[in-house]
Parts: sequence; C-alpha cells; structure tokens
Amino acid sequence: MADYIKFVDVTKCDGCRACMVACKNWNDLPEEPQDFSGSYQSHEKVTANTWNVLTFNEHQRSDGNFEWLFRHQSCLHCVEAACEKACPEDAISHTKFGSVVIDADKCVGCGYCVQGCTFDVVELATYKDKYGKEYRKAQKCDLCTSRLEEGLKPACVTACHTDCLIYDEKDTVLAEAEKRLAVVKERFPNANIYNPQGIKGTTSVYLLADKPSVYGLPENPKVPLSQIVWKDYAQPLGKALFGVTTMAVVGAVISTAINKEKGGHEGGQDHE
Amino acid sequence: MEMNVTRRQFLKLSGAVAATLAVVELGFDEKKARAESSDFKIAKLKPTPTICPYCAVGCGILVYSTEDDVVYTEGDPDHPINEGKLCSKGTTVRQVYTSEKRVTKPRYRAPGSDKWEEVDWDFALDKVAKNIIETRDRTFIQKENGITVNRTDSIAYLGGAALDNEECHLLQKLFRAGLGLTYIEHQARI
Repeated sequence: MADYIKFVDVTKCDGCRACMVACKNWNDLPEEPQDFSGSYQSHEKVTANTWNVLTFNEHQRSDGNFEWLFRHQSCLHCVEAACEKACPEDAISHTKFGSVVIDADKCVGCGYCVQGCTFDVVELATYKDKYGKEYRKAQKCDLCTSRLEEGLKPACVTACHTDCLIYDEKDTVLAEAEKRLAVVKERFPNANIYNPQGIKGTTSVYLLADKPSVYGLPENPKVPLSQIVWKDYAQPLGKALFGVTTMAVVGAVISTAINKEKGGHEGGQDHE
Repeated sequence: MEMNVTRRQFLKLSGAVAATLAVVELGFDEKKARAESSDFKIAKLKPTPTICPYCAVGCGILVYSTEDDVVYTEGDPDHPINEGKLCSKGTTVRQVYTSEKRVTKPRYRAPGSDKWEEVDWDFALDKVAKNIIETRDRTFIQKENGITVNRTDSIAYLGGAALDNEECHLLQKLFRAGLGLTYIEHQARI
C-alpha cells in the first residue's frame, strides 16, 4: 500500500470551519461553548473534545501590510512521535496509515503525552464511570483511522470545499505541495512546506504562508533525547529485567517443589 | 552438586520453563496488533440523500440514520453542486434532528402574554389561517387610481432554500394569485 498523507494548504483556507464541525460530527464530540475573546477564532486551541481548531492569526507583515492567516490546527501525526515515546503504558501507537492513535483501554490518564507532545495537541478528557467516579483519558485527532480502514478520507478532508485539505498518496501530495508553493511564493515570500525532519516528517504536512513561528509552530522540532532513551532503552530493559525476575521466581518455586519431592521419595539423598 | 533428574522431574521442569516463556511472550510482545481503532460507526447503514435546508446553493447531503437516530451526515459526493463538500453550517445539519433545542411541537404566544405554550397542530393551523384571511380581507385593495390591482400590502411571504421548483410554483399560486400578496421574497435573493 502506498503511503498516504494529509496535506493542509493554509493559503487556500477561507476560514469556514467546516473541518471543525465535520470532526465533531464524525467523532461524536461534545460541544465546548466559549466566550468571545476579541477574535473570530472560536476556541483558543485544540482540546480533548475539540480535535481540530481553525486559528485566525492577525499578522502584520514586514512591509506593514495586514495579513489574516488561517491554520487548520490538529494532530500532525509525527513519524517520530513524542507522545508515543512519552507513554508508559504503550497506549499510543502508529497505525499502518501512519496515524498516531491512542488506545483508550490502555490509557491510564497519566498525562505524560500531554506534556510530551511537540505541538500541544493532546489533552486529557474527564469522564465519569457508572459509579460517578471520575477518570481521565488522553484524546486527540486519530486521522479518522476507522474511516481510512474503509477506504474513506478523514471527515475534515471530506468536508473541505477549497481543497485546502487533501488526503492522497504521499508522492502526489508532495508534488502538489511544491507546485502550490511556487504559486504562492509571490504573495507570501516566507511561504514554506512544513514537514519537520527533526521528527522524521509528519503524516499531516502543511503549506504555510509564513514562518512556522508566526503560526506558533516550532521551527525545528525534535523529540527530546531523554524521552527516546526512556522509551527505547530504559523501558525495554526494565521489562526484560521484570521477565528475568519472573523466570527466577518461577524457577525457584519449581526447583523447591522438585527438591521437596526428591526429599520425600529418596530419603535425603539430595545432599552431597 | 550432582543432579539426578528423574523423567517426572524433567517434565515438570521443562513445563515450568515453557510457562515462564509464555508469560514473557504475552506480557512483553507489545508491538503486535496494538493499533486497534474504534468501530466504523456507519457500517451497515444506508445513507438517505437530501438537500441542505440552509442557503440557496442547495448542496446534497447524505444522512446516515438508524431506526431512531441520525448517526452522521456528510456532503453527497455524487451531487453535482457540492461534489461532497459542505460548509460549516451544512455540516451541522445532523443537529436539526439530534439537538435538544429542537422545537418538536407548535407553540403559541397569545397577545399580551410573556410566554410560549405548546398547542396542537389543529389549533396552530386554524389560528394562522384565520389571521391570514382576516388580515387579507381587512386590507384588500381592489382598485387604485382607477386601475384594478386586487392586492394586499399587509402580508409578506418569505420562502426558504429547502423549497423545490414545484413547491415555489404552488406557493406563488397561493400567495400571488390566490391571496393577492405582492411582497413575495425568497431567501435565495437576500
């Protein structure tokens, strides 16, 4: 299967927010009413129940002109995902579609992924069980993995009417991205394709109209070395040690049993 | 130490080793089949095509519904107008059915009253019909400056985008030819 990626061309976005509604609609996410904050932007950022937000960035260019920059903000599905590295329960993993998904059954709501996320898109949602006890689960965009499995595109992409959002084969999309970049360079000299290689690229690639920092994105994100060491070395080692300990304990129990048996049958001949 | 292992002991020992390995296998092979995604929520549901009730563009929408609920709505990819796309308002169309704020019964606020009360359809339709005919008869102008006009300026009619051509034709007949309205407008032109 060819690799598929999502492409967000913010220069084509007209700020209609259909992607936000489509996301809530498909994922059955509850409403989160907000107070007016002086901007057209509806929510401050993505939350556990609002998996994508259209940011309205009122930006003054270097030539003094005003630019209203939109960005479809949601999980970028990093190839090297900090949230996955941070998760102590292995609840976060990559699917065959490259999407980073959270297994709600495994998630214990510790919030390490919230702290670890490079783009600040994971948050904890609070739920109540049938006894009224509160528990928490990390939630974020899953690139509509259940739709991808059925051959459909993510809900946000389906709704987008300006082709700002595309979901297609990786090579096709990246070629299209280069083509569009050449077109918008004239109007946006700082335009760039945001597919940070520090995290080995993302499954959701942006064409930004200005520098990443203008959109609040890190210029060259990396997964902290400590997290990689923790996940790729410390945890497997700890588990291996746990396995060794288990074997040792089980072995000891068995050998004790055998020794006892020997003692019963052979009358103390086990001592040399 | 010399180990005199009998056949029985050997079997026990190898069993224990196998069991230990099985524990290791179950507990630590986390790479395998862990990326489980949630169920496909519109599986086995047959979509019903409809037209968006909001603006005049008339986008096509597919409604995925169960016996008693609307599960999902999205743009109809086969519809020539929107080709599967929708705006944010059209995307909310599921809430026309699912919202708790939806009004499901006719409501009436009597003259001078400060609250709405639920009434039955007979009452509501009778009331509307009575008020229309009373207003129309009271304000009907047959002649103006010697010219026959047969009209009333006191009632206006506003059509919505969900109306199709045939419905618009019937409504024109009723309001323009039947009742003599001149203020007939459609949301599409506003």
